[in-house]
Amino acid sequence: MADKILTGISVATGIAIGKAFFVNRNHRAHLPRQTVSSDLMSNEINLLRDAFTSVQEELAATRELVPEELKDYGLLIDTHILMLKDPKLGGAAEEYIKTLGLNAAWALEKAVADQAAAFGAIDDPYIRERMQDVRVVSDKVLGKIIGQEADINAMEGRAIIMAHDLSPADTVELEVDKIMGFATVCGGKTSHTGIMARSLAIPALVGVDKLEDYVRDGDLVVIDGLAGKIVINPTETELEEYNERAAFFEDYTRKIKRRCHLPAETFDGSRVQVLANIELVEEVAAVLDNGGEGVGLYRTEYAYLNRTELPTEEELTEKYIDLASIMSPRKVIFRTLDLGADKFISSYGELNETNPALGLRAIRFCLKNPQLFKTQLRAILRASAYGNVSLMFPMISGVKEVRQAKAWLAQAKAELRREGVEYDANMPVGIMIELPAAVMIAEYLAHEVDFFSIGTNDLIQYSIGVDRTNHHVSYLYQPLHPATLRTIKLVVDAAHQAGIEVSLCGEVASDPFCVPILLGMGIDSLSLTPQAIPGIKRIIRQTNMHDCRILLKDVLECRTVSRINNLVMDNIFKHFPDEVTFFTSLLENDEAPS
Amino acid sequence: MTVDNQSMGTTPDNVESRQVVVVNDHGLHARPAGKLAQTAQSFEAEIQLVHDGQEVDAKSILDVLTLAAGPGEVIEIRASGDDAVDALDGLVTLFKNKFDE
Repeated sequence: MADKILTGISVATGIAIGKAFFVNRNHRAHLPRQTVSSDLMSNEINLLRDAFTSVQEELAATRELVPEELKDYGLLIDTHILMLKDPKLGGAAEEYIKTLGLNAAWALEKAVADQAAAFGAIDDPYIRERMQDVRVVSDKVLGKIIGQEADINAMEGRAIIMAHDLSPADTVELEVDKIMGFATVCGGKTSHTGIMARSLAIPALVGVDKLEDYVRDGDLVVIDGLAGKIVINPTETELEEYNERAAFFEDYTRKIKRRCHLPAETFDGSRVQVLANIELVEEVAAVLDNGGEGVGLYRTEYAYLNRTELPTEEELTEKYIDLASIMSPRKVIFRTLDLGADKFISSYGELNETNPALGLRAIRFCLKNPQLFKTQLRAILRASAYGNVSLMFPMISGVKEVRQAKAWLAQAKAELRREGVEYDANMPVGIMIELPAAVMIAEYLAHEVDFFSIGTNDLIQYSIGVDRTNHHVSYLYQPLHPATLRTIKLVVDAAHQAGIEVSLCGEVASDPFCVPILLGMGIDSLSLTPQAIPGIKRIIRQTNMHDCRILLKDVLECRTVSRINNLVMDNIFKHFPDEVTFFTSLLENDEAPS
Repeated sequence: MTVDNQSMGTTPDNVESRQVVVVNDHGLHARPAGKLAQTAQSFEAEIQLVHDGQEVDAKSILDVLTLAAGPGEVIEIRASGDDAVDALDGLVTLFKNKFDE
């Protein structure tokens, strides 16, 4: 048996085998503190100066590599460089060497402590937090001084990057061709780690509890992005199995990718649209590459994160026009801001919500902050003149919310009309169905909008009452729970009854085991991570709608998840015997952890 | 951000000084503080910021940050040296241009 197998949330698929390499090490824990005699002081001063200079040079070099879309990160590096040059840090440390005879590391630590005291006295939480930046740069310098710096580019061969959390800052410095995979303790589906990994087409897991406790630098690890597992120090036999699995998966990926541009049509002629979920405009390349027929979910949050000021209408418009025009005539569905107030501390004050998942987020937050909301609506409308743009509101709980949101949209349209700015007057408007309340009144909601998009990740979470990132209860997160399936079916039926289209954009859409059931329900389109599109298109193309309907009927009669799992497994075994070994699914959640 | 209350005065030792008001949403946060320090560094003059009884070095980003000047608060910029007037002009322009944000 391997030393340990940990589980996490897979944000990028594939299998990677390599050596663990931790970034963001904490130097402060084992700092050598000594005093030095006066004849050795100049050595310490030189050590200190060299360390500052080399970190400064490294940052300057990194600064050059920062791509345009990470402009804010570039400015952050500028701030860090200024801090490194600041005499209040390096100069103060030098003084401590001269006057107190401290060694370089201790002197710097003391200079940092002075800054911490100065920053700690500040009332403004935003400025107080900048102490973090002082710590980040001084940790880098400390790393140089004590010679233990985790130099990412010193890593050899196939590395699996491990971290508590990865920021854009950490990943810009990575030499990507040496990286085979990622694993982090923090982060969700939409974290930077996932975006980075997907664009590099390497596997990544986030939310890996205890990663730091069980994995050491240099450990041999397998990242199984298909099963959401990390295998630490596998045995020879396990390693061989994974090698085989990885090769098999690679072959399969190549094979299906060649056919990914064929339409998603079942044997018996039913056509489903397969769209992509994206977060960055840059991802359109992956969408088109993998045979995506459009963007079914453009998550617009990224432009609002990792920065101190809200994006301007111009900035958003420019980005949105890029996306709409590159994808045109294919459709792009913009989801309006789906963030919680907790992400906007600096601008909107702390709320101290005890339960943010049920708090002021998404459409609720937007309706409370009409200025921010309208800026985004105007930008989306302006982009609608350049392509096939739709818009949808997240986390709708009732008819009134839809009407309020649409009223702001109408106002934004009126303004643009007055200003003589072009937009698509017939831009379709939809809503996300993510709350059980919305499901129960789906027939009313259907009369208010042009389409539904079912967000199964949240819908499952809210209807089963389970936080999937909470490992005590995550086994209950069951896409194939009879309640989940009935819920989805209610929504699909209500939409079709009202004559509107319904799409599904949760993870279920990329789960080969679940897709046949969704087809049986008559879902109009599926929206999934671009890299999963070829596989799902293949499933659709090898399926009969007739069989899907029978499967659905059988499944809806089952009372337990395990019974449903068996049926679904049988179905997949029958139709896709080759792939079943590495198809991964949310099915494995069936049993409570032992 | 606007600069009102702009007054120019000469204090002893040929120190030039002007007052500006911080009116951006977050006060002198990281980016403006960085720009301010960077701009100050491009002058020979010694430049101090005085705010709330505290006097700090305008060329130090850490000093400027820990000054924690919030929106609506008044800062006095003092400069002495050959290019003191240019330095003041440059810094006041920064405030005027909202630190290009």
